[in-house]
Amino acid sequence: MSDNDTPETETDGGTGIVPPDDETPTWSERKERTQGLSRLTYEYFERARREDQDLRQESSYVERDVLGFPAWPHEMIRNLALTSFFVGMIVFLSATLPPEMMPPANSSSTPAVILPDWYLYWSFGLLKLGPLNPDLALLGGKSLMADRTYGVLANLVVVGAITIVPFLNKGAARRPVEQPFWASVGVFGVIFAFTVAVLSVKNLVPMDSHLLFDLTFLLPFVGGFIAYAILKSMREGYMFTLNRRYYRLRPPK
Amino acid sequence: MSLEKKDEHDHRGWMEERDLTVLEERYLTLLMWLDKRLRLVDYLELLEDLYYKVNMQMPKSHTEQYGLDNKFWYWYPLYALGSFSTIAYLVAAISGALLGFYYAPAAASSSGDPTVAFESLRYIMQDLNFGYMLRSIHRWSAQVMTAAVFLHMLRVYFTGAYKEPRELNWIIGIVLISMTMVFGYSGYLLPWNQLSYWAGQIGVEMALSIPLAGEWTAQLLFGGFTLTQATLQRMYILHVFFLPFLVTGLIAVHIGIVWMQGIAEPH
Repeated sequence: MSDNDTPETETDGGTGIVPPDDETPTWSERKERTQGLSRLTYEYFERARREDQDLRQESSYVERDVLGFPAWPHEMIRNLALTSFFVGMIVFLSATLPPEMMPPANSSSTPAVILPDWYLYWSFGLLKLGPLNPDLALLGGKSLMADRTYGVLANLVVVGAITIVPFLNKGAARRPVEQPFWASVGVFGVIFAFTVAVLSVKNLVPMDSHLLFDLTFLLPFVGGFIAYAILKSMREGYMFTLNRRYYRLRPPK
Repeated sequence: MSLEKKDEHDHRGWMEERDLTVLEERYLTLLMWLDKRLRLVDYLELLEDLYYKVNMQMPKSHTEQYGLDNKFWYWYPLYALGSFSTIAYLVAAISGALLGFYYAPAAASSSGDPTVAFESLRYIMQDLNFGYMLRSIHRWSAQVMTAAVFLHMLRVYFTGAYKEPRELNWIIGIVLISMTMVFGYSGYLLPWNQLSYWAGQIGVEMALSIPLAGEWTAQLLFGGFTLTQATLQRMYILHVFFLPFLVTGLIAVHIGIVWMQGIAEPH
């Protein structure tokens, strides 16, 4: 390979943090011992690395010096402190609020309230969307599927919608003010998760069940619109400061 | 002097021409013996590399570099949620392994008489020293993990951290959050009390409502269309065997990708 003619001077990616010993074999020396597929892989990586290096040299971007915290001991001690704090929090919670003993399973007596754990309330609520299951005139006023099938499919639709978000929302915008629409979609989702959770326990809520059902879908839209309006109005001033900051750092040529 | 080419890798000859103590000689002999068979040198190289990597300095973060701290400090606590859920997962794993010493997944009867599973739960809660604390820690760390995972997802959504090139990690995160909920659900069923039983009933009905594959899913996950010993056994194996392997592996991949791509900070 033609790469071998030039002696390797930098072995650690050019960060200059750890000076290589004379005895330390270079990465190429270590990897040149291999054969076959691994050899091929090595040659490809060398090419890719060279490409990166060339691109870096062409660009006008100046690599900064490393002036951060050392990983050891500074970062590690900080991480240990945070970890102990969080574990302590869990232990404190479990010491103060231990779980209670429930009556044993009995298939012949149905309890008044059947509930999953709190994090499944939203899913449980989606099972109760029967009233939204359309009656099709084509089928003589019958629904295409049973209400409970409809509920299970609603779960799949919600999870699927969340999954494809990165493929729908593209671009460099990151903060809510930069993308009011997607932020308000998020607010809609959060509020809907709560309202549909309340819907799942509708027999415990002292409210007319039709009103509750309507509110379940109305409140998320209201919240979404309010979030949109607020973010839109914040956007002007926010972007101004941001642009000023940006151009102060990188003045236009 | 022989004309034969000198063997550069004649370690034994090299060892003999040096003046070594008995201890050193024994040690070197053992080391060579092991290295010849197990290629210890390669692992030493890895360790050496790791040593240098650990001692490297953390690069300045984006916000540090551009002096944006004053603008974004209020996001920072939310960036700890991912590691918080991982910590809670570890606590749950340890306490769960200890609980496993005392728990038996047997539903001998479900007609109101306490079952073996329920009896072992009663034993843990009432007779075992610190048993209630163990179960409490397990339960709370599970709750905390789930809560942290949900909030973590919201943070990622609202800071746009799922965007290119991080779509894959977002999808892995969706899979992880779903598996966390299945983890919680299967754990909810294990005490085999009234709530577990009827939550299990809903689960069977949900599985049966899946179009086309409903009955098959119910058979696979719940071991039938009604709740029996098979259900409890399957939930137990899901909870202590399949899910731990899957979730631990996926968490490793998830964090590995974050490590490679770097944390997505607002910019």
